[in-house]
Amino acid sequence: MTATAARTGAIDLGAIGATLEPRPMVEASGVSKWFGDVVAVSEVSFTLGAGVTALLGPNGAGKSTMLRLLAGLVPPDRGELRILGRDPRADIAVLRRIGLVPQQETVFDSQTAFEFVHMAGVLHGIPKPDRAAKQALALVELEHRDPRRLSTYSRGMRQRVKVAQAIVHSPRVIVLDEPLTGLDPRQRRHMTRLFHELGDLGCCVIVSSHVLDEVERFGSNVLVIAQGRLAAEGDFRAIRDLMEDRPHRLRITSDHPHQLAGHLLADGLIMGLELIDARSVVVETNDVHSFRRNVAVVAREIGARLSEVVPLDDDLDSVFRYLVGRP
Amino acid sequence: MTAVLGSRARVRPWSRRPVPRRGRTSRTPGAFAAIYRLMLRNQASIGRVFAVMALGVGAILLGAAVGLQHTVDPVHDGAELINRYGLTILVPVVTLVFSSSTLGDLIDDRTLVYLWLRPVNRLTVAAAAAGAAMTICLPAVTVPLVICAALTGGGIALVGGTAVAAAVGVVGYCGMFVALGLRFKRALVWGLAYILLWEGYVAKASKTASRLSLRAYTRSVVSQYTGVRLDQAGLTIVAAVLVPVVVGIVFVLLTGRRLKKTAVD
Repeated sequence: MTATAARTGAIDLGAIGATLEPRPMVEASGVSKWFGDVVAVSEVSFTLGAGVTALLGPNGAGKSTMLRLLAGLVPPDRGELRILGRDPRADIAVLRRIGLVPQQETVFDSQTAFEFVHMAGVLHGIPKPDRAAKQALALVELEHRDPRRLSTYSRGMRQRVKVAQAIVHSPRVIVLDEPLTGLDPRQRRHMTRLFHELGDLGCCVIVSSHVLDEVERFGSNVLVIAQGRLAAEGDFRAIRDLMEDRPHRLRITSDHPHQLAGHLLADGLIMGLELIDARSVVVETNDVHSFRRNVAVVAREIGARLSEVVPLDDDLDSVFRYLVGRP
Repeated sequence: MTAVLGSRARVRPWSRRPVPRRGRTSRTPGAFAAIYRLMLRNQASIGRVFAVMALGVGAILLGAAVGLQHTVDPVHDGAELINRYGLTILVPVVTLVFSSSTLGDLIDDRTLVYLWLRPVNRLTVAAAAAGAAMTICLPAVTVPLVICAALTGGGIALVGGTAVAAAVGVVGYCGMFVALGLRFKRALVWGLAYILLWEGYVAKASKTASRLSLRAYTRSVVSQYTGVRLDQAGLTIVAAVLVPVVVGIVFVLLTGRRLKKTAVD
């Protein structure tokens, strides 16, 4: 700890890195939740450590239910959930280490932003809630001296206040349900940076969204939920590579695209092709690694100039569509 | 890319502390006060305050009307008025309006999550809710009823009995209706059903049923203080004072227990 940090009762960011949890920070094993006849979450198992993980799924897939389970707001009907090794339903002490930004917009309208965040600090029992509330509000670019009640705040401002109350007690596990809703593009970038930095500091940050562009900015680590089931977990590019039943599509741009594609087909490196124009062709391959290794070699052999090889379906959107069975 | 946290370059040190031992809740004594203040502020809406003031003014006007009649037995007439208007309508309805909404409003607008997520004993939340409701309801019903009793000319016994009956009634009803607000979505309807149907009709059917009606206890207090015989008011003063208080405490405990188990939206 630096001398300044010791004097002010704060620590420098670098020191937080040493607090990385050796065990999974979030563990779900065989978790199911149903409401009446509707199965919201079914047999979901995963473990998460420090860093940002995006929880991804179409509307009604069970994302919010999963997040509520993680925060202990609802008990699982089957299976086990552990946050930092504890059951968040049974052991409320672990709530000291959990921060949640719920999906709903509502906050305590009679309070100011400072009162709202300060109260969260007080209820978490932190030693200097005044200072913590001011810092948390500053992190989301809100003014702690603002005398206006939360009822007068815009949707985006409320969203930022919700983030501030979720981080005021320096939690280790931060659960954010659609946290960028209502924010302008600059604030979205700011929040995304904040979540990344919290992840880099050793927090387990779980962010849900159904907007794929947003999710892609959160990083490559995803949990995909579809119809209440965990469809995939991990780096979405690695997930894509594992989808052997889905041929990879790539666009090749060259001065002799048709000739090049013909040779690739003859060598068995691609299994199909689609002519786009005089300079481009889209090819399909089941072995993308072999294709990438050999495409330049084949181009050189036939004297074709290879301008561009662009994968068309290893982005998050394509992976997501494949996983949730959308066309 | 500019660092968001880095610009402040410090994070509070307790983030490095280990997770507290199992069962340890917030040790800060400020938890009760913070929740209590919040509930109090949420309750004090202009509409509710006006409605309560109107009911209170109604009590005072009725008391003045009885007093001006110069009846033969002002104690009896005063006790009947306090029983029929104060203990039958004012006390239960006012406490229902305020108590059922302390937690009920938080459930309706989905803000309970901001209290539930904190490591605070659920009993603290329940007690703060009941405490806030009592803080509003005690003066809101006791003051106009005491003025009403005084204006009837019933004397010090009626004024004292009214004050005690209103106070113990508020304690009992507040506990009960805070629990109702947590349990039922339309707590106001259920509460009115209890007041009008159970206390108004079912309780008259048998002695056992009347024992399950808080009104029997509050009117017993007035009866015991004034010596006026009132319907279903045959309880001793000790039982009449203690039972509503115990009922209030038991319901606060049940509310805390239910909060612990409830699924939060």
